[in-house]
Amino acid sequence: MSVPDYMQCAEDHQTVLVVVQPVGIVPEDQFFRIYKRIVSVSQVSIRDSQRVLFIRYRHHYPPENNDWGDFQTHRKVVGLISVTSCTAAKEWPQTSDRFHGQKEVFGSTLYDSRLLVFGLQGELAEQQRTDVAFYPSYDDCPDVEKRVEDFVESIFIVLESKRLDRATDKSGDKITLLCVPFEKKDFVGLDTDSRHYKKRCQGRMRKHVGDLCLQAGMLQDALVHYHMAVELLRSVNDFLWLGAALEGLCSASVIFHYPGGTAGKSGARKPGVSSAADAGKRHRPGAQEVLIDPGALTTNGISADTSAEIGRAKNCLSQEDIIDKYKEAISYYGKYKSAGVIELEACIKAVRVLAIQKRAMEASEFLQNAVYINLGQLSEEEKIQRYSVLSELYELIGFHRKSAFFKRVAAMQCVAPTIPEPGWKACYKLLLETLPGYSLSLDPKDFSKGTHRGWAAVQLRLLHELVYASRRMGNPGLSVRHLSFLLQTMLDFLSDQEKKEVTQSLENYTSKCPGGMEVISLPDGLKLPPVPFTKLPIVRSVSLLNLPVSLRPHKVKCLLGQGMSTASPFIYSPITMHSRGDERSKKIDFQWVQGDVCEVQLMVYNPMPFELRVENMGLMTSGVDFESLPAALSLPAESGLYPVTLVGVPRTAGNITINGYHTSVFGVSSDCLLEGLVGVKSSGCMVEVVPSLPRLQLCTSLPRSAHLSSEDLSTSVSLQLFNGETQQLTITLENIGTETLNTLELTSKTLSTKEKLFGEFVSWDLQDALSHLPLKSGQSVSIPVNISTKLDFSGQENLLHDLNDDGISVTGLPVSSPLRQVLKPRSENKPVGSDASKNEYNHVKTLEAVLTFKYSGGAGQVEGYYRELSLGVRVDVEPSVFFTRVSTLPATSTRQCHLLLDVFNSTEHELTLSAKNNQDLVLHASECQRMAIQVDKFDFDSMPVTDHDALRLSTVRQQEEKRQQVQGGLINSTLDIRWTISSLQRDGEASVEGVLNQLILDHLQLAPLQWDVVVNGAPCDCDVVADCRVGDAVPLEVKLTNRSKSAVGPFSLTVVPFQDYQNGVQNFDLQDAVTFIGSNTFYIDTVNPTENSVCVGALLFLYTGDFYLNIKFQDDSTSRDLPPAWFCLPSVHIKAQEPIEAAA
Amino acid sequence: MAVCIAVIAKENYPLYIRSVPTQGELKFHYTVHTSLDVVEEKISGVGKALADQRELYLGLLYPTEDYKVYGYVTNSKVKFVIVVDSSNASLRDNEIRSMFRKLHNSFTDVMCNPFYNPGDPIQSKSVFFCAHTLSIFYVTIH
Repeated sequence: MSVPDYMQCAEDHQTVLVVVQPVGIVPEDQFFRIYKRIVSVSQVSIRDSQRVLFIRYRHHYPPENNDWGDFQTHRKVVGLISVTSCTAAKEWPQTSDRFHGQKEVFGSTLYDSRLLVFGLQGELAEQQRTDVAFYPSYDDCPDVEKRVEDFVESIFIVLESKRLDRATDKSGDKITLLCVPFEKKDFVGLDTDSRHYKKRCQGRMRKHVGDLCLQAGMLQDALVHYHMAVELLRSVNDFLWLGAALEGLCSASVIFHYPGGTAGKSGARKPGVSSAADAGKRHRPGAQEVLIDPGALTTNGISADTSAEIGRAKNCLSQEDIIDKYKEAISYYGKYKSAGVIELEACIKAVRVLAIQKRAMEASEFLQNAVYINLGQLSEEEKIQRYSVLSELYELIGFHRKSAFFKRVAAMQCVAPTIPEPGWKACYKLLLETLPGYSLSLDPKDFSKGTHRGWAAVQLRLLHELVYASRRMGNPGLSVRHLSFLLQTMLDFLSDQEKKEVTQSLENYTSKCPGGMEVISLPDGLKLPPVPFTKLPIVRSVSLLNLPVSLRPHKVKCLLGQGMSTASPFIYSPITMHSRGDERSKKIDFQWVQGDVCEVQLMVYNPMPFELRVENMGLMTSGVDFESLPAALSLPAESGLYPVTLVGVPRTAGNITINGYHTSVFGVSSDCLLEGLVGVKSSGCMVEVVPSLPRLQLCTSLPRSAHLSSEDLSTSVSLQLFNGETQQLTITLENIGTETLNTLELTSKTLSTKEKLFGEFVSWDLQDALSHLPLKSGQSVSIPVNISTKLDFSGQENLLHDLNDDGISVTGLPVSSPLRQVLKPRSENKPVGSDASKNEYNHVKTLEAVLTFKYSGGAGQVEGYYRELSLGVRVDVEPSVFFTRVSTLPATSTRQCHLLLDVFNSTEHELTLSAKNNQDLVLHASECQRMAIQVDKFDFDSMPVTDHDALRLSTVRQQEEKRQQVQGGLINSTLDIRWTISSLQRDGEASVEGVLNQLILDHLQLAPLQWDVVVNGAPCDCDVVADCRVGDAVPLEVKLTNRSKSAVGPFSLTVVPFQDYQNGVQNFDLQDAVTFIGSNTFYIDTVNPTENSVCVGALLFLYTGDFYLNIKFQDDSTSRDLPPAWFCLPSVHIKAQEPIEAAA
Repeated sequence: MAVCIAVIAKENYPLYIRSVPTQGELKFHYTVHTSLDVVEEKISGVGKALADQRELYLGLLYPTEDYKVYGYVTNSKVKFVIVVDSSNASLRDNEIRSMFRKLHNSFTDVMCNPFYNPGDPIQSKSVFFCAHTLSIFYVTIH
């Protein structure tokens, strides 16, 4: 016996073996259909008794195994069912012959046989035969099961008769010696009359009867017989049969203990009737065992009704004993080389029992033993079977790794080099089955988190084998999938050399069969999930990029803030809503625009020791139609973090979510979802896409320049201007988008600068441009913008100390003057300390402003979005002229004064200066001259002051400044000083606004107290000479108008006449020449605001001559609070003439 | 003497494995890997009864044709496996125990290293030297 049945289990001892075989040509599928139906009759309850017969069917059974039928009766073929096709009556004899031939094979052991004939019709089929059944076709055979049951019953009858025959066969007759095939020659010439021999015969027969009892469903009787056999055989040292008896004992006990069976086929075995009956009397471990004395049994006492119930359960082995007895039996088997198969099968049976008992360690010992049982030369197929079974058994006892090991050995055996036609498919299938044992699943998701699971070295090996096997199977798709998986999950364990090799072979495979993201389904139902290469390259962070500043959409602010309207009833709450959700699902607070290119930046690195080419890398999105524009990149070996920008265009509006990216590496395309990636930093992946907006492109009449430092600008221009100069800039806006532009706004912002700026820096007129709206795609519009620079024109006085007050003009500076040097433009090292101030004259100052165009149109406008385009304007202001010193001289009239300006030309060009009502002044380079301008004094109080401006400026200081500024502006516009550099054809204005200090302003201001002196009915001012006649009384009227805000006075005025000899001598001693009519002192009472007060007196000139009247204030406490400028009365010049002359 | 020693993490992946260089390394990988079945079985069997004063030394895990595989489990479920040549009959249980004790000490040293990240494969020299003292490479020297 050389072919072991690896599927054996203990309860098989209970079964009778029936072989089902085809006769002649029977289609395989039809045969197995019938076979299945036959097999379904696996246990048959026998009429009139509680016994059950179990049948084991085989469609193939080696006849040499049949020879061991006496040794263990379940190995004996007792029934034969033949299945045949027979379509014509004439074939029948031939078929019948064949059937008989087949019966011959197992003839010695057969109890009964049946022939199932299919296809035969006619009278032949009509005949009633017990051993032959006729069916018209394979589909029309309703009573096959019934037939089989009858057949089994007939077998039972034979079995039962044999059992009874053997059991009672004790009456002194010679018992034949049962023996196994290889023993036969050993007993030749042995003394058959010896006691020893007889005992041996008895023992073996007992054992045989035990087997028959067991098969016939008499478990308890079997146990008794086995016990007796053990006793008998032990005494004669018949080890092989002793082993068999022990094993029989074990089997019977196992059947008793585990009515469900040990084969692990769940539900395959219905609990037998007898077992069910005994279930209540289950043996409990530890219960004392009382063996029924074999001698106490009557000769025919083996029948069912004898033997007291008491001892029944006791005859059965305990669970512990079963294993001990199995061990013993196996050790006896081990003594015989030829009994290898028996030993192996016993091991397997024991393992199954132990597996049920959950005693893995002992089971593994049995298995270990089984591994070493040498069955001689095994065929490759047997080897595979053997390893597979070992693997299954290890699996059964929970040794998954060992199981996987043997399964892998089996797989390798399938493709052993000695096999002419290697079974790669089988190998692959077996390899797949080993995966769980190596804690390897083919789903890359299991490996994406945390540490690597399992034993990398063996997993790697297995994967390589899978790849190889699938390739040899002729399924390159599978190889690519496995290789991708290997590369993805085992990357950390591959050496540089291995990485190279793996990728090379992957590229080889993919050249024939590109890898994709589809799930590969194997024929046996296993699904291979796709393997995205999330590690080639490794992505470290994903960030969605905002649009460039000029393209960002802005929401028109409505009354309620965006999104706030629904979220909370409060306008502001310090409690922020905690969104516990995923960070990635967070919405980003900027928007993308439909139809515009949007960017996502990934930080990636290449873990490979060679350059990694990533092709077709693009974004995967959801929520919005998105046109991804894939990129190809090449990452250097072992690169550090490397930024990659993926772009795409959203085609519709809505919320877009970036789910991941797709790549194509080594010919394998992968879709990498962000949620599956580990260690990826992301600030959120959802962003709102707003409806499309127009796009404006801006170009200017000036060349572009570098961007300004502080602001995000789309474009910027820079220009150079002299202080006070104005230049026009033409801005052309072109609609380069697809949407029509409907609205356009322009605002400007001057960037905070230390320089004091007068007037508007940039000014524009948008009316013309607005009239061109709406602006269709491709159209453009121009906007002129004026840029004027009016910085402080004041210079520091102390620098030009050599320009004295009395010197009206300074033609030039001495050559050696330090100022001369600094006048040259010097951009390099600035003099430190006090020298720094000298630099101020040619210090180029920078002014920056930002022009912002807000525009909108299309669908985006409906949603309330607009875009901003900003233009930075940078102006380098070169100094033109400086007012180094300002002073006033009183003019002849109290209502006028002279403004003296020391003007310094800091340019390198000749410069002409002009002012209103004044002749031009030509200044050479670096020349300083004084300019005198006569101006009317200003009545600042009458100036309109916008109320809310004044209100806004809260502090007094600010108000004061504002006031001063307004006043300066007024003065400046009146003066209108302009400069012209004729050589450069440039001109501009020179503002005095910053030059004027409070003192000057006070001087230029009309006093709030307005004094009018009227002599002889004519108003009198400084340069007006009033005529009068000697002897006539000259009325003098002094009128005070109070324009200040408070009441003034009382004042007392004294009129002092004097004569000026024009040589510096003034004669106040005029008592003889001038007489006052009345008092020479006037008294003015308190004058309320806006009121006036008049006092009148008279003078009498006694002589002709030029007289002056000096109106002085009496020293009065009230007047001291007021500034002296308020008491500026015109001096009165009176020419007294002869009355005769006048008469003549 | 020993032909292979292995340190296996709680999660059953190798932290350290060294074998006699003359023989296939993969073979020992398989041997040690399959021995984990027995280790697990032993731990689960013992764990219930004597969780506290458990013997760390597991004894012979299983014999193969050429080797004997011994196991040892620390309280933190880190496993040590030593494979010895089965032809070497002179080796006693006590000697195996002392080998494990040495290995455990070296492993403790490794764990004390502040630069060692638990769970990473052990690169430390300390275990390597231990491997030497256990005469892993005895065969090659002779």
